[in-house]
Amino acid sequence: MTAGSLNGPAVRQFACFPHPALKGEYVLKNNTFLHGDGLPAVCIKILAGISIALIIFIFIFIFYQAWPVLRASGLDLLTTHNFDTQISEAFYSSDQSPVLNFGLLGLILGTLITTTLALVIAVAIGIGASIAICEFAPPVLASALKAIIRLLASIPSVVFGLIGVIAVVPYIQETFVTVDMQMEYLSMFQITGKSLMASAVVLTFMIVPTVISLSVDAISAVPQTYRETGFAFGMTHFRVIWKILLPTARSGIISSVILAAGRGIGEAIAVSMVCGGVGILPDFSHGFVSFLAPVLPLSAAIVNKSEAMSSVAVRSTLFACAAILLVMGAFLSIGARLVERRMRRAVGFEK
Amino acid sequence: MVTAVCLFIVLNVFNIGIDVISWDFLTKEPNPSAVNADSGGILTPMIGTFLLTIIGIVIALPLSLASAVYLCYYSKDGALKNMITTAIDILSGVPTIVIALFAVTIFTQPWLSFLSTPIETAGGVQAYGKSFLVAGITMAVMILPFVTKSIEQSLKTVPDEYLEGSLSLGATKWRTISRVALLSARPGIITGAILGMGRIIGDTAIVWLALGGTLRMTGLQPWWQPQNWLSTLQNTGSTLTTYIFYTSPAGEGNSYEVAFGASLVLIVIILLLNAATAVLGGLGKTKR
Repeated sequence: MTAGSLNGPAVRQFACFPHPALKGEYVLKNNTFLHGDGLPAVCIKILAGISIALIIFIFIFIFYQAWPVLRASGLDLLTTHNFDTQISEAFYSSDQSPVLNFGLLGLILGTLITTTLALVIAVAIGIGASIAICEFAPPVLASALKAIIRLLASIPSVVFGLIGVIAVVPYIQETFVTVDMQMEYLSMFQITGKSLMASAVVLTFMIVPTVISLSVDAISAVPQTYRETGFAFGMTHFRVIWKILLPTARSGIISSVILAAGRGIGEAIAVSMVCGGVGILPDFSHGFVSFLAPVLPLSAAIVNKSEAMSSVAVRSTLFACAAILLVMGAFLSIGARLVERRMRRAVGFEK
Repeated sequence: MVTAVCLFIVLNVFNIGIDVISWDFLTKEPNPSAVNADSGGILTPMIGTFLLTIIGIVIALPLSLASAVYLCYYSKDGALKNMITTAIDILSGVPTIVIALFAVTIFTQPWLSFLSTPIETAGGVQAYGKSFLVAGITMAVMILPFVTKSIEQSLKTVPDEYLEGSLSLGATKWRTISRVALLSARPGIITGAILGMGRIIGDTAIVWLALGGTLRMTGLQPWWQPQNWLSTLQNTGSTLTTYIFYTSPAGEGNSYEVAFGASLVLIVIILLLNAATAVLGGLGKTKR
């Protein structure tokens, strides 16, 4: 019986009962369950209803606010770009005739590219590190590392943004940016250290601890007998990891990656400090320099332009960005739930 | 690969090292000033962080508790419960910036203006919408799904024998829930609440949008006197996170050592909270 044992009708089943005539189902005499419990139950239901209504209201409100821009721009919202000129036009337009045609492709690509870059690097480092912690590290070091990683995962994002601005951006500027580069692209934008590369690096710093700690949990959850079976067959340690542990922990690792992706997509503050704030379309035909170009991911756009929210057009646009983020986040959450459900079924638990 | 991890940890320690250098500048002196490099301490942002956390958890905890109890014990398994659980999961994956945007827009509606004070803008139109109360409520909304899920998980670990024992002794459903389930899951509930507080402390996007970036408390001065408390709550201020953002080169700061000092304080606070969680988790285990 699960916690649902409090739910159903107040029925008791007795497997063995002294009097044979009374075998079978026996209903409790005073049906306190069916009467409910008066005031506390009502309070509980009201409060729960408030929270659930709040959640639903948020969804509806965001799409409602974004609706003017969504309707005016249609599918162009996702396929055209030129965000900077559009938003300054929109800010100066009046409320009666707001400029509502927006193309958010540059922003969306910015989000996707920075997050993907950060994810790729973070997964490579993270899974390797979690294997190292679980398998190769002596126990004392392993528990110390785990505690440190858990602490790193809970550090607020501003601190990472601060490190980014103070350390990463100047480093990139000194190492990679030359004056020729700046002169060449001066007509389009100014190449400082704040760039796509900086955002990707800062995002990587932020999501690596998350990936490591969740992957460590997943790998430690693999039963010891699996490893011992592999060793008993004469497999080397590396083969045991590659062929047995990783596939078994696969669902946990995938859900950690999804969670990290969710954090990366939604990360606004740290990215807005290092991204450069120019909403251009990331274009890789120029080669390596494109990594040094500024970028404006969706969430950073919301932060940067939020002071202009008094204008209806700008507000609608920011809500459109928020709606896109919401949809992305929803997809990731649903994906994580599906992975979790598949993992449970694979291991044999009932739902 | 272990060296990759160690490199990263070294980077973080280095960061704390920089913080320590500027730790001498800030030992809880009152009110920060925006002027120059020897601007004062971080008392006001720390009070701001504290205020927001209290408001957020006070609003969120009853709602989460009620929702978790409802989901565990009162709702029938079915389409409605599935929908509610999905909604909670989706909301927990929503970026905080989206929640902040939602809050800023909603709290500028005139009928919610009791929560903040009006500001005259150039066009003569009054604007509301940023205050401690607003930011606190937004924080509560942000941590609501997270705390609900965590309380629900700890409620599920209550062994059924406890519940059945209490029911068989004739207790009503509500007495069973309140006296047995909630008490026995109490360490888990407290852990969830503390983790929620940790998230509130660390969140910047909501604070930046819903609280503004002023360094002092606006509102009637002096702000610590009880008759001015309501005015303080209705006005803007700053928290540690906003202070870091503001004084970093990305904000308007020209001296960023104070930002490092503030981030050291922030990291220490979060460290203490995590330690409290670990201690409480251990207590919970020994109680059983």
